Amino acid sequence: MSSVLERLERLPRRNLTVLAIKGLSTLVPGGWTNITRADALIGDVLGSSDPELIRQVRARADVLSQARHEGYGRALSLYDAVNRSQKAAGGLRLLANIGGALPLVKRVADLTPTSDSLQAADLSLKVAAEMLAFTQVNGLPGDSFGDFAAALGDYAGEARVRMAALICFDALLPLGDQALQRLDGLLGGLHKRDLHQLPAYAGMARLLPGRGDGAHLTFLRRGIEPWLGWAEGFSSQLGLTGQKAVQALEGTLGPWQGSFKQMATFLDAFTDTYQHTGVQAVARRLVERAAAEI
Amino acid sequence: MARALRWGVGLLLVVSLSIGAFVLLPFRSWLPGGTVADVPLSQVVNGAAFNRLFPEPQDGDQLVFTQEKRGFSEARLKHDGQVKALLAISDVTTAPEARSKFEASQSRLQGWPLVEQGAQATALLVADRFQVKVIGQGEGLDPEQRQDLLARFNLRGLAALQAPA
Repeated sequence: MSSVLERLERLPRRNLTVLAIKGLSTLVPGGWTNITRADALIGDVLGSSDPELIRQVRARADVLSQARHEGYGRALSLYDAVNRSQKAAGGLRLLANIGGALPLVKRVADLTPTSDSLQAADLSLKVAAEMLAFTQVNGLPGDSFGDFAAALGDYAGEARVRMAALICFDALLPLGDQALQRLDGLLGGLHKRDLHQLPAYAGMARLLPGRGDGAHLTFLRRGIEPWLGWAEGFSSQLGLTGQKAVQALEGTLGPWQGSFKQMATFLDAFTDTYQHTGVQAVARRLVERAAAEI
Repeated sequence: MARALRWGVGLLLVVSLSIGAFVLLPFRSWLPGGTVADVPLSQVVNGAAFNRLFPEPQDGDQLVFTQEKRGFSEARLKHDGQVKALLAISDVTTAPEARSKFEASQSRLQGWPLVEQGAQATALLVADRFQVKVIGQGEGLDPEQRQDLLARFNLRGLAALQAPA
């Protein structure tokens, strides 16, 4: 298994994913830089470019990411699972979109329903994966629930572009501008059998707390509530809408003539935004720890 | 011939079963490499014990805990939403090489050896076991400011922490 920093260095410097995040980051103050060099990240955290210190931090980070108990690798495999399922679902929907135009394959289009509530369940799975990854990487910081909530808020603030991408690509574009307000109702209408239609669920089921689909569904509904409160504040503060997201994406990806839903499908099928920013977030936390331990 | 074939099939079955058992059964937690530097978790002080030893934030500053693991706890010192410094306490049991830099150190803080690492980091080794570190972020901190922060940790409480039996 490759270490976290190796994964960081293998991230693309310029492709569709990077362009999509770049485009979206124009909506978020502070912007986004695509950090793919471990040495640059270490130097940034340490405030020093001494090659000997950077070498020590790097060696320590590799030791830490190879220890299974520390959870850095587990967080990355969570992101990988979500990414694989997003691509599979996106590919199916894309096929259905193309298939819809050909009479013979029209059947396929009817076979791949992506109702709004399944889309909502997909988003709640991503948020749950985010929270599980947070606890894997950071533990449970602080002595009280207040400390933990502050740590979570701080993390979300650091990962603003990542969160904006989650809100726009997985909520506002496929579900419309009222997505966050509607989400509770959509999840309420979900049956536990429906979970098995989500490819990500099979991979994540054993990592979710509770036994059985019913308990998992309850966890997803409850787990998304605190995030939803935060996300509504965040998106109204930045004034995020599907329209604005598409405009921002057009700045880097070029003009788009399809619907918002098709844009969401296209992004699901061809980009890895969730995984890309996830690896960067984990790498930063890992380097902050390694720098403190050398 | 038939007898040799039977033996062959039997042997193949046994080998594939034992390989399958090793791959599929949850033996992984018994294999080495689960913990940092293969030091057993029971020998490392839990990060939760460090939290109350961090300095109390002063004049408008805010302390946000960011990571807590076995042998490690880290917090950010923020002012108006900007990160000023990373503060951390770690147990050097899993990183013995971190001790060596203190050997040549001449400066002392409350009797413990002090080392500057690059332009923005200051480290202190308490009781030959716990490393306390301040790393300036953003605009950065002077060495005096970093040492002042280090002195505001509860160093006496940290030195009194005992390793779990």
